[in-house]
Amino acid sequence: MTTMTGRTTAKTDPATGKRVHSRIQRRNNLYGFIFISPWLIGFIGLWLGPAIAALYFSFTNYNVLNSPKWIGLGNYVEMFTRDDLFWTSIQRTLYYAGVSVPLGVLGSMILAILLNASLRGVTVFRTLFFMPSLVPVVAAAILWVWLLNTDWGILNQALRHLGWKHPPSWFGNRKWAIPSLIMMNLWGSVGGTRMIIFLAGLQGIPEELYDAAAIDGAGRWQRTLHVTLPLLTPTIFFNLVLGIIGALQAFDAAFLTVEGGPGFATWFFGLHIWKHAFQYFNVGYGAALAWFFALVIILITVLQQRLSEKWVFYYGGR
Amino acid sequence: MTNTISLPQSLPRQVSPEVIRRRRLVGKIISYILLTIFGLIFAFPLFWTVSSSLQTWQELRSYTPHLLPAVPQWHNYPTVFEEIPFARFMLNTMLIIAVTLPGEIITATMVAYGFGRYPFKGRNTLFLIMLGTMMIPSQVTLIPQYVLFFRLKLINTYVPLTIGAWLGGGAFNIFLLRQFIMSIPLELDEAAIIDGAGPFRILAQVIAPLMKPALTTVGILSFLSHWNDFFGPFIYLNQMKLFTAAVGLRFFKVEAQMGQQPRDHLLAAAAAIMTFPVLLVFIVAQRYFVSGIILSGLKL
Repeated sequence: MTTMTGRTTAKTDPATGKRVHSRIQRRNNLYGFIFISPWLIGFIGLWLGPAIAALYFSFTNYNVLNSPKWIGLGNYVEMFTRDDLFWTSIQRTLYYAGVSVPLGVLGSMILAILLNASLRGVTVFRTLFFMPSLVPVVAAAILWVWLLNTDWGILNQALRHLGWKHPPSWFGNRKWAIPSLIMMNLWGSVGGTRMIIFLAGLQGIPEELYDAAAIDGAGRWQRTLHVTLPLLTPTIFFNLVLGIIGALQAFDAAFLTVEGGPGFATWFFGLHIWKHAFQYFNVGYGAALAWFFALVIILITVLQQRLSEKWVFYYGGR
Repeated sequence: MTNTISLPQSLPRQVSPEVIRRRRLVGKIISYILLTIFGLIFAFPLFWTVSSSLQTWQELRSYTPHLLPAVPQWHNYPTVFEEIPFARFMLNTMLIIAVTLPGEIITATMVAYGFGRYPFKGRNTLFLIMLGTMMIPSQVTLIPQYVLFFRLKLINTYVPLTIGAWLGGGAFNIFLLRQFIMSIPLELDEAAIIDGAGPFRILAQVIAPLMKPALTTVGILSFLSHWNDFFGPFIYLNQMKLFTAAVGLRFFKVEAQMGQQPRDHLLAAAAAIMTFPVLLVFIVAQRYFVSGIILSGLKL
């Protein structure tokens, strides 16, 4: 990392060296903070302040109109003991994230490896793969509810044609609703930014390594397995972490397709928070749910970081 | 290349060039077949939306699906605009983007420049905190933010939806731009300093012009995220005249499901209308977009 201090301190005048240094440091402090001030203001006003406020609200009974009333751990006790949908929603959310993210990351990686093979017309395919990720989620919800319609959906029409007399009713069925959401999610995410990040990762692999492997007699498949894959592990890790953080917060797709139904089958934690905070205006309880949720996400992220030491390989060290 | 240098002894049995060529060809064919299959899977739903949007609802609800409309029902599109004020909704979204896009580009560049070029006190800690904010679910901050904007009587205004864009525009954008700035040689700044340029002039006249690919990427991402954003407008706006296209489309979806006559064809048309601008922006700018991400050296 080249920084200005690295260079400027070298220029220190031996007689008054200290003053020159501190003047430069003061200049760096001044301009550094001026430039980052938009973010700093936003961070304090729209992030840190609200996060602390949420923590406070989580110990109160508060509905926006009245002033918050301190109830200690009341919200947390209610959450763990009396809220039936709490554990249900956690379970649904983990199921959704646990299946869609690994499948999605794997899919993005396979597509990126296929695209990286420098074939002719690759850009056309790249555009084709990328397009679904651009479709606004509201439009995608309309589209998938229609594709997976029990009676007239094209998928079921095709399945019936192939001899499956009673294909599942997808979004209409409690067992199939989450798999339907997973399908929709994979379609919209596999070829998106995640795939581009894999492409960037693939292009960062030094050519010499492939040449060396080829000299050692490794075929294309072996090179993929023993050169590409290990060197992609940092990218895989990055995408897994971000993917899981995103999937655990899932709201839009489940809400826009079936509003958490049928029979709470897609009642994700994000919907649960929304219902309490923005429908019942039970701000205190919503804040408690949100903070608990944040802790779960942080815990999962830290756990992944720990596990990553076992399988992520940094070429040339870190 | 390999056959010009002396081969090590450990090399497995010699393979004739012809066999190698044939293997390559087979590999290529397999790759193309896989690419085509995936391409069809990805493209079909989009094709199906457009096709559905041009059919009558009777066609859509027949037991022998029509891949293409018997007679393209172009009037489905104007009908959507008659049934809901969709033009107004799109205009509202464009208004929000007109405010947020310059905000994100200007302030994210400033912040990235501050982080990338000035080793101020506490820089590394603040940078890590900034990256850390990406890990915390937005729900935690959203609820108090809502309370704040409620107290300030800013519900049903665009302030809650646009203010963040002028305050750095998100950690990911800042990170991307900062990585890019780090790759610009410091000598350029130093030459400008010798010429007597101040920090703001250096940023505006030396650094920013070199950042075009990265700025284009941020611009596209910003456009997409605000065009597609559902949750923000959904909780902050509840007057129909203020709806964005995303919220308006959802409103139409809910309404259409309650209607007397099936309106699947109109829903498909509305979904297509909502999608066209995004595809257009992407197709125009995709060259910059992809290279912008790759060039920024997203080093992990």
